Amino acid sequence: MNDALNPSALIYLLTAAAVFGIGLHGLLQSRQILRQLLTINLMGSGIFLLLITLGGGSDGPPDPVPQAMVLTGIVIAVSATGFALALLLRWHELSDSTELDAVADADAVQDAHDE
Amino acid sequence: MTSEALIGLIFLPLLGACAAVLPGRLPTRLGIVAGLLPLPGLLVAVTLSVWQQGPAFLELGGWAAPLGIRLFVDPLAVLMLWMVAIIGGLAAAHAWFDFRPGSPAGQKFWPLWLLLTSAMNALFLSADWFNLYVCLELITLTAIPLIALADSKKAVRAAMRYLLLALLASLLYLLGVALLYNATGTLDLYQMADVLAAAPSAVVVTALALMTLGLLLKGAVFPLHAWLPQAHASAPGPVSTVLSALVVKSAIYLLYRLWLWGAADAVATELALMLLAMLGAAALLYGGVLALLQERLKLVIAYSTVAQLGYLLLILPMASATAWQAGTYQLLSHGLAKAAMFLAAANILHALRSDRLSDLERLDQRQPLSLFALAIAGVSIMGLPPSGGFLAKWLLLEAAWRSGHWWLLAVIVAGSLLAAAYVFRILAAALRRGDPTQAQPVADTQAIPRVQTACALLLALLALAAGFAAAPILAFIDTGLPSAWSGP
Amino acid sequence: MRAPDMRVPDMRVPDMIGLGIDAVLALAIVWLALQTVRSRDLFKAMLMFVVFGLLMSLAWARLHAPDLALAEAAIGAGITGALLLVTWRRLQADGHEPADSEHPPLPLWLRLPTAGGASMLVASIGWVALELPATPGTAGELAWQRIDDIGVSNPVTAVLLGFRAYDTLLEMAVVLAAWLGARAVAIELRPGALPGPAYAEVPLVGALLSLVVPISILVAVYLLQAGGNAPGGAFQGGAVLAAGGVLLCLTGRLEAAAQTSGLERVLLVLGLVVFSLAGLLVMASGGAMLALPGLWAIYLVETALLLSIAITLVLLFAAAPGLRRAS
Repeated sequence: MNDALNPSALIYLLTAAAVFGIGLHGLLQSRQILRQLLTINLMGSGIFLLLITLGGGSDGPPDPVPQAMVLTGIVIAVSATGFALALLLRWHELSDSTELDAVADADAVQDAHDE
Repeated sequence: MTSEALIGLIFLPLLGACAAVLPGRLPTRLGIVAGLLPLPGLLVAVTLSVWQQGPAFLELGGWAAPLGIRLFVDPLAVLMLWMVAIIGGLAAAHAWFDFRPGSPAGQKFWPLWLLLTSAMNALFLSADWFNLYVCLELITLTAIPLIALADSKKAVRAAMRYLLLALLASLLYLLGVALLYNATGTLDLYQMADVLAAAPSAVVVTALALMTLGLLLKGAVFPLHAWLPQAHASAPGPVSTVLSALVVKSAIYLLYRLWLWGAADAVATELALMLLAMLGAAALLYGGVLALLQERLKLVIAYSTVAQLGYLLLILPMASATAWQAGTYQLLSHGLAKAAMFLAAANILHALRSDRLSDLERLDQRQPLSLFALAIAGVSIMGLPPSGGFLAKWLLLEAAWRSGHWWLLAVIVAGSLLAAAYVFRILAAALRRGDPTQAQPVADTQAIPRVQTACALLLALLALAAGFAAAPILAFIDTGLPSAWSGP
Repeated sequence: MRAPDMRVPDMRVPDMIGLGIDAVLALAIVWLALQTVRSRDLFKAMLMFVVFGLLMSLAWARLHAPDLALAEAAIGAGITGALLLVTWRRLQADGHEPADSEHPPLPLWLRLPTAGGASMLVASIGWVALELPATPGTAGELAWQRIDDIGVSNPVTAVLLGFRAYDTLLEMAVVLAAWLGARAVAIELRPGALPGPAYAEVPLVGALLSLVVPISILVAVYLLQAGGNAPGGAFQGGAVLAAGGVLLCLTGRLEAAAQTSGLERVLLVLGLVVFSLAGLLVMASGGAMLALPGLWAIYLVETALLLSIAITLVLLFAAAPGLRRAS
């Protein structure tokens, strides 16, 4: 949001994009639920960084609205992670695994055997 | 008066949830009653106000947008709120018996349920894109634990998958919102609509695409639907009901708001609407075929949801008042009918201890009322007169005819045929006489509280009534057409 | 008008040292993200993630977002890290060693283009967005103009508890929902719910706790009251308080209880209830919903929020219905 592109902003923009991409790659790479939670958090951090970088008008005071949005986002992220970890523990108790099996990924004639 | 009513719709269930956290039976009962019972009454006031004075904004904190957050109420919002109140209310009545207030299961259930109600009301009223993100997260984090309460391996797996995908979807949505704020300087849906045309198209198009992708994932629109069937089928009965009838609709509702109000004038709108309609067509056909292949009742109903949501997207390129009537009527009748089906299925599952289609024989003798509810709801899903579903399909066909999109006509007809097939398949399985030498004694079934049966039946009858009482509803809907749509 | 404290220096002349710091920080952040994703050992990945959070905190400071820096350090790195590590510990205690299986959801030839493409999309769109001239009348500008109406000088607090208070209220509901959800899926009291008082008898622990726990309380209260006119706020303070609680759990001073006590339940909903009632009272007396009438109201609500956040985060960590003093 400025006439001359602020080099600092550019650096953080590229960082945000990189972190987002790395997180996405990691998400698509692992079935391990713990790692998926880590990568989702990484992607979130990338998005937050983008939000603040875009909102930082270098001429003038920083825009508080994106900062409030990211603060809310951070709190929501920790809440979601906290619940997800609890759900993971329950899944582990029931299935003795910390992965989501590939079997249930695709549409199929669902087997009626209830576990 | 309307402002207080709108605030009440959001805050009564919220405070009710807080009461339900406190120990004991009394606070929970108080929370449920205070949080759910007043909702229809408040909605009457709101409906009258919107009917007489038209859509209205409410500025929270007194701050005008873009500084503050606004609520917006119009006929579409009112319709969704009614659905939450009625479907949610009847599902709650059903849930009262399996999750008794004061019992350990009830202690876990009711705060989440009440928060979910509040979150949905908040979502349908919100006019701020970031506030909608918070509402979406609240819905996610309340609906998913409710699924996991079923505590089976299937339910927990479905919940975990849904959670991971929902979080991913929310992040994509948030990225879109971030770009939109940067491009327009406001987060208000309706204000943004005015300035969107002037904003740089590359940023706007990317933002809209990201938000749409996130919402498609949350709305289980083909091909991002894989999480839905198991999640809806393994959840406890009343939870499945609310998931299929309301929660998944919230994503479609947001797609409507995004493309028909928020971005109605943006560069890519026509193309996007056509793409969405094609996805809807694919959902309709794919979901219908898969519903036909399922062996478990709840899975048939869940795949039926995937299919029926397709109808809601078909209307997007049609841009006429008839199409809007069709879409809103489909929202209403599918919500009622699907809710009835899931509650009836819950009753059947409870009574027979199985929901395999092959175990349903002679259901008319074992659970006649639940079967009756299932059948009537099925009538609406199939689109047979005189149900609400019939009216929705009729309007849809009329709108498709007028708009000249012939392929939509074919898709609608095919979808209805598939629906007829899978509904009849259920009914056939239920009416089968089976092998007389291996007759299951009729008394093998567990007793179902009468209220639970009544809830399913009532919802089914409402789906039917929607076909009769159409005139006032349609007249009301007509006062709230999307800005860019007009004409018959 | 009140901007001087937060005004950034004139950036037209590139600040070479600052640029250098930013570059190094950026590289470190990206490297840590890579390590998080690529470490075969999940434990190492989680540690990398915690350090990533700490460096993100520095990035926020560099981007003139001190409230975020505090929040990221306390919540993003601190509490999230604690939650991840304690879950790891619990999985291990069950004899499970989480490791990546051999079949990824998407093969490499699909993954790399998808992630790479997404990354480049974000970068290019961000670039375009950065080049835009500022739109007039943005929400942020208006916030700076009207900040005196709220009564605080920290603009982020003004937005969180003033202009967009409704978002903060729903955010508190999300926090509560997380705890409710965690309770819903937990079976009643796992043996070994907490890592165990292995350190209770180590001599220096007592001394450490008698120093750190009161400091965490002090810092939490400071962050709360400072949040009005300086960086800080209820969420950051709540997380610091929760950190003190986590420490008590880890050192065996607090143990898991089978029931959530009445006090704990009240604290859990306190933030939401006080916030909602404050807003409703204002509406009932003729004002607008959630237009908090002054600094005292903001502090009242923030105190309630702080307590709720703290108890919720500690209970999430403990994965138990409640906590009580160890016998």
